[in-house]
Amino acid sequence: MDIKYFNPYSNENFLGFFYQLGLRLYGFISGQIPLRELASDEIQLIVLMSLAGSAALVGAFLVLRKMTMLANSLSHTILLGIVAAYVMSSNGILEGDEHYHPINIQAMLWAALGVGILTVFLTEFLTKKARLQEDASTGIVFTSLFALGIVLVTLLTRNAHVGTEVVMGNVDALQLEDCKLILIIFGLNILLTGLFFKEYQITTFDPALANALGFSTLFYNYLLMVQVSATTVGAFRAVGVLMVLAFITGPVLTARLLTHRLGTLIFMAIGIGFFASLIGVALSRHILSVYGVPFSTGIVVCVIAGLFLLAIIWKKIERSRLFGKFQAKDLVSTS
Amino acid sequence: MIEASPFQYFVDPVLRAPTLGSMLMCLGASLVGVFVFLRRQSLLGESLSHAAYPGVILGVILSGLLSFGESEEVYIAIFIMGGAAITALLGLWCIYALERHLGVRSDSALCFILSVFFGVGLTLASQVQFSYSYLYRQAQVYLYGQAATMTDIHVIVYGVLAFIITGVVCLFYKEIQTITFNRDYAKSIGMNVRMMDAVFFVLIVIAVIIGIRSVGVVLMSAMLISPAVAARQYTNKLSLMFLLAGLFGLLSGYLGNYLSTETSLWFQRVYPSSRLALPTGPMIVLVASCICLLSLLLAPERGMLLRMCRIAHFRQRCMYENLLKAIWRLGPHQAVSFEQIAKHQSTSKFYLRFVLWRLKRNGWLQTNDQKFYQFTHEGEVWAAKIVRLHRLWEVYLVDYLGMGSEKVHVNAEEMEHIITPDLERELTLLLHDPQRDPHHQPIPPKAF
Repeated sequence: MDIKYFNPYSNENFLGFFYQLGLRLYGFISGQIPLRELASDEIQLIVLMSLAGSAALVGAFLVLRKMTMLANSLSHTILLGIVAAYVMSSNGILEGDEHYHPINIQAMLWAALGVGILTVFLTEFLTKKARLQEDASTGIVFTSLFALGIVLVTLLTRNAHVGTEVVMGNVDALQLEDCKLILIIFGLNILLTGLFFKEYQITTFDPALANALGFSTLFYNYLLMVQVSATTVGAFRAVGVLMVLAFITGPVLTARLLTHRLGTLIFMAIGIGFFASLIGVALSRHILSVYGVPFSTGIVVCVIAGLFLLAIIWKKIERSRLFGKFQAKDLVSTS
Repeated sequence: MIEASPFQYFVDPVLRAPTLGSMLMCLGASLVGVFVFLRRQSLLGESLSHAAYPGVILGVILSGLLSFGESEEVYIAIFIMGGAAITALLGLWCIYALERHLGVRSDSALCFILSVFFGVGLTLASQVQFSYSYLYRQAQVYLYGQAATMTDIHVIVYGVLAFIITGVVCLFYKEIQTITFNRDYAKSIGMNVRMMDAVFFVLIVIAVIIGIRSVGVVLMSAMLISPAVAARQYTNKLSLMFLLAGLFGLLSGYLGNYLSTETSLWFQRVYPSSRLALPTGPMIVLVASCICLLSLLLAPERGMLLRMCRIAHFRQRCMYENLLKAIWRLGPHQAVSFEQIAKHQSTSKFYLRFVLWRLKRNGWLQTNDQKFYQFTHEGEVWAAKIVRLHRLWEVYLVDYLGMGSEKVHVNAEEMEHIITPDLERELTLLLHDPQRDPHHQPIPPKAF
């Protein structure tokens, strides 16, 4: 049993991490190490990468549809869903956070579905029926539901820290179960986005045409939001419900700077997300072994932001080089 | 453990600081919220409050480096507020730069900055937890807000800031009004719009940094939105809206703090082992949301429920009038069976029976011994009036607007319910009291 808690990555620095990762990967593929013995770094890696993948898939359409603030509101209201899922799976009052609760994957997914629909419905309802500005109705819905969620969590668990955990996430507490949940969600996202890619595309870029052709924009709105809420549910234990927004927007915005094609955008965003998770996990391991400072996954968010900055700089350089070329040409032609 | 009456929350030396502090913060936030709401930038507050979080942590780290103890809370509070202000302004600048220079859309920019800044804040927070664990509690308080540990000195600091907000709003009231409602006009009369924008953003930042102590960064944006939305339901005047929003803010600050303290006390009594303190933020936000929801539903002019009642009432009257008209068409003086009436109506038979029963109850219809329906005198007058309005309008449409007589019926079907007695008199005069409509049907004389 001791073997299980032995972490092959301890005391590795940045490069050593990748070397060790390569060795371990070879081990897994050749069957020398059973899959049961995933080290915690590897679990983190799997969870973060599939999270980044899911987030990029839904994020691309969210950014293009200008609906990211709805995703923000969903990432708050999901707390209610998480409360409901915990109550469903443990049927009754919870006993603090000390015991590890096995996650009921089915309950989680149902909760995500319910909350996704509820949030969008309430927001639409306030906008349409109470004639409120869209941003105001978004703000009111998610803050009220989140406040309700926090109060419920505190009342049910008699522990004020659970609310903090949900917002902050705790990457070190991840278990194999979490891998399963997020992989299912990643698969679901790939499936749905793959199946409905054309529909998403048309409802995003030309809603009027979509309606004329008989595709319900509303239905695909709801479907997208359900996907977002599933992604958020998968993310909350790893990175918390708010930082998942960085996974949703960051890679897509970075890719948006570099390409104008939707397909390329999605694949590039997924790639950037994968890369950022890899670097992030390696960096946090590096910092832990070299400086002895434990950082949570916030590092990945910093890496995402860093990649965005790099993309901006690259674009600036590219632009100035192009500009320079044009100027030189102009000079030649005029002289 | 103190049993306090609601009034004692203002005078008791332990309870008064949190109470007054929460109220002042909510006052500031709701005043700023009014013009945030009117400028349709409600979600800016959300981003800025999250962007303030790394500043909070930086403030904590700085006070840790200068090795302040927990007793020197005021200095820590000032450092925290300074840090929060700086990162919030930085976040604001980043959002501006993303939108202006990189062509990122407003919502993505807000969302990206929010999550990145908050992520950086949380990363730093995990560092604080590790190296200055005695200050970590301080940092955590700002996530969901905790009013209970405030002292009188906090109240003075927050009071001054809230006073600044109120003062600026009063001082620049004219400018705020002009710029909010007509930006181009404000520019054309030589107002310094850019300067006012800067003042406006600084006010938001101040409101956010004083608010996060009691409401917390995660829920701060609610205090900017809810009171303003609630106030908007009652009035169309800006000055009144400021007053009402401030009032709602004060109320939710007080009630939220009161409820959270009482619930925490109740918890300590029921589960003495859990040592639980309910965060103030969610309670304040819940109270504000309740006020907002009630206003959305019940406000006299714009409330959803009342508006729906008015619509339902109008629909019912239309139904009455249509039925009376249908019976009138079948023959004003003869009794008609239910089947005859139902033949030309699209509604369900059940509802039809209900409406007929209501008409009978109100004395417009009567039934004879074969259960046939017949007009009473009042009913006949009303039915004739509706037919008259319908046909008058048809005449008007044909004679004055030159519509083809085959097209006018549909429009008249709607107008017959809307035309007022004044309008009827005018129409009669204008059309010289016609006797026949475009379809050569007789128009019943006025006041049958």
